[in-house]
Amino acid sequence: MRTRLIIAFIVVALLSALASAWVANLILPFYPSLGNLIRPDWISHLLNSHVPGAGRHLILNSHVPGGGRHLIALDAPAGGGPPARTTALTFVLAAAGLLLATITGLAFAASRRVLGPVRRLAEAARLMSGGDLSVRVEPAGDELAQLVTSFNAMASALEDKVSELQRMEARARQFAGDVSHELRTPLTAMTAVADILPGHPGLTGDAAAAARLVSEEIFHLNRLVEDLIEISRFDAGTAQLVTDDADVATAVLSCLRARGWTDVRTDVPAGLTVRLDRRRFDVIVANLVGNALRHGGPPVTVTARAEPHGPGSGQLVVEVCDHGPGLPPAAMAQVFDRFYKADTARARSEGSGLGLAIAAENARLHGGHIGAGNHPDGGAVFTVTLPRASHRSASGMVAQTVPAGR
Amino acid sequence: MTTVLLVEDDPGARQGLELALRRLGYQVRPAETGEAALGGIGQDAVDVVVLDVMLPGLDGFEVCRRLRRGSDVPVIMLTARGDDFDIVAGLEAGADDYVVKPAEPRVLDARIRAVLRRQARVGSPAETHGELVIDRGSLTVTLSGREISLTPTELRLLLVLSGSPRQVFSRQQLLDLVWEHDYLGDSRLVDACVQRLRAKIETDSSEPRYIQTVRGFGYRFGPV
Repeated sequence: MRTRLIIAFIVVALLSALASAWVANLILPFYPSLGNLIRPDWISHLLNSHVPGAGRHLILNSHVPGGGRHLIALDAPAGGGPPARTTALTFVLAAAGLLLATITGLAFAASRRVLGPVRRLAEAARLMSGGDLSVRVEPAGDELAQLVTSFNAMASALEDKVSELQRMEARARQFAGDVSHELRTPLTAMTAVADILPGHPGLTGDAAAAARLVSEEIFHLNRLVEDLIEISRFDAGTAQLVTDDADVATAVLSCLRARGWTDVRTDVPAGLTVRLDRRRFDVIVANLVGNALRHGGPPVTVTARAEPHGPGSGQLVVEVCDHGPGLPPAAMAQVFDRFYKADTARARSEGSGLGLAIAAENARLHGGHIGAGNHPDGGAVFTVTLPRASHRSASGMVAQTVPAGR
Repeated sequence: MTTVLLVEDDPGARQGLELALRRLGYQVRPAETGEAALGGIGQDAVDVVVLDVMLPGLDGFEVCRRLRRGSDVPVIMLTARGDDFDIVAGLEAGADDYVVKPAEPRVLDARIRAVLRRQARVGSPAETHGELVIDRGSLTVTLSGREISLTPTELRLLLVLSGSPRQVFSRQQLLDLVWEHDYLGDSRLVDACVQRLRAKIETDSSEPRYIQTVRGFGYRFGPV
């Protein structure tokens, strides 16, 4: 915008310079004395000093309406100086140049004055889109004043709205966390006695079936509350990483063994040691494998490998594949959402509906991520990528043998 | 019969846990508040304390700290949150182990049994390591002739480490040997207990002579 304005000014300046030269040509033949207004010595010095032997002279040529050419010579030595036409043209150009410089300067100053507030507004809008809602523009006493006032009002309204939304979200999250915590106390009592009911000799028929159902649902409720509390820890930012050097093969096999998943295939190289939070890594593997077993088709495979990534560092890549129908394209983006169900008609499954969301949060806490996709040969693939050396180390140990106090 | 002092303010959780523990063969002495627990502990023998963190009045951490001033009875914290802060604070207060609510009876049972096993005596002569004398028969530890009072967990940790001097034990191994935790034990239990043990037997905890850290691997006893 500014450049265009300046170009426009330059064009106008050029045209006016040419016009003035033309007017001068018209007038000078009738009022030759006007030529004295332009100091000949000054002009000749300026324009013709490079010509050896140049005297004081000024020659203008003009086309008068009657035709013919008039030469006006001012103190010009005979046989010296440049051709008259060139000298006149040089003068016109010099005049135009001076005018151009003056007008450009004026245009520059004017554009600064006009465009200053616009630039400040643009800068404020840029800051605002970057997330800084506290930005305001200083009121300007010109045509843009109203725009600035409207902008500031909009910024205030937006800031109020966003902070209100943030407060509401924080309250909702706090509430979800509090509810989960509150559920734990009655669940403690129920869990403690849940084992007594099933198989009790005093309960038969419907009573026995009801007792079994209650007992199973207490187990499910426990799991749901556990997962809700875990999620609320991530939301509140209180989830911590407790890292230790761990052998990936041992961690994966222990995870599967502890849950009795004997039919899951593994392909993990021996001796692959990664610094990670063992409990959280266990949760990631268990939730992905559990999901594959529930929603995918057998066999489920867990593979792990160290992938070189940049000099001197690496990444741990763990893949959990199943051989089911794979993920529908629409599900890919939402599969890590809380309580997301790919098949809305499906009845409540064994899981809490938070397993994949928790796995993704745990990977993120390690500085990694989980991706969801489909294998070319069919079946869903969940790929966990974790940095091999976690940058956030809780126990802060280094792998060297020096007997020293912690 | 093993007597459990169960400190839990919520009546439902208290009754449920009492019922479950009784069915598992424990004698249960319930207490509603920390004050009641501290008052009752001296009256008759308590083998293990199961202590809720969230209590009205004195909270579980404070009860544990006060308990530790005059008693080495094993304490298992019952944390309602499972939040890292609670666990660390509980361990610093001197708890031997923790169980996250809602505690399954078999998990609580396993923890109680493991804590009690740490008091098991083995008949063998006293060993001398520098100024430290460890008597595995009488389960007494003396430092420069003065008897040191250790909790069963601290004692068990010292016995395991000093049983194989110079051998490096990883935190995971110690969790398995001392706490009998599964493969996902919390290594902070080990670190907290090592610090408490050092405070009792080392002259300078920052320059430990007996319980040494092997950075990146774990801990070892000596060389003295």
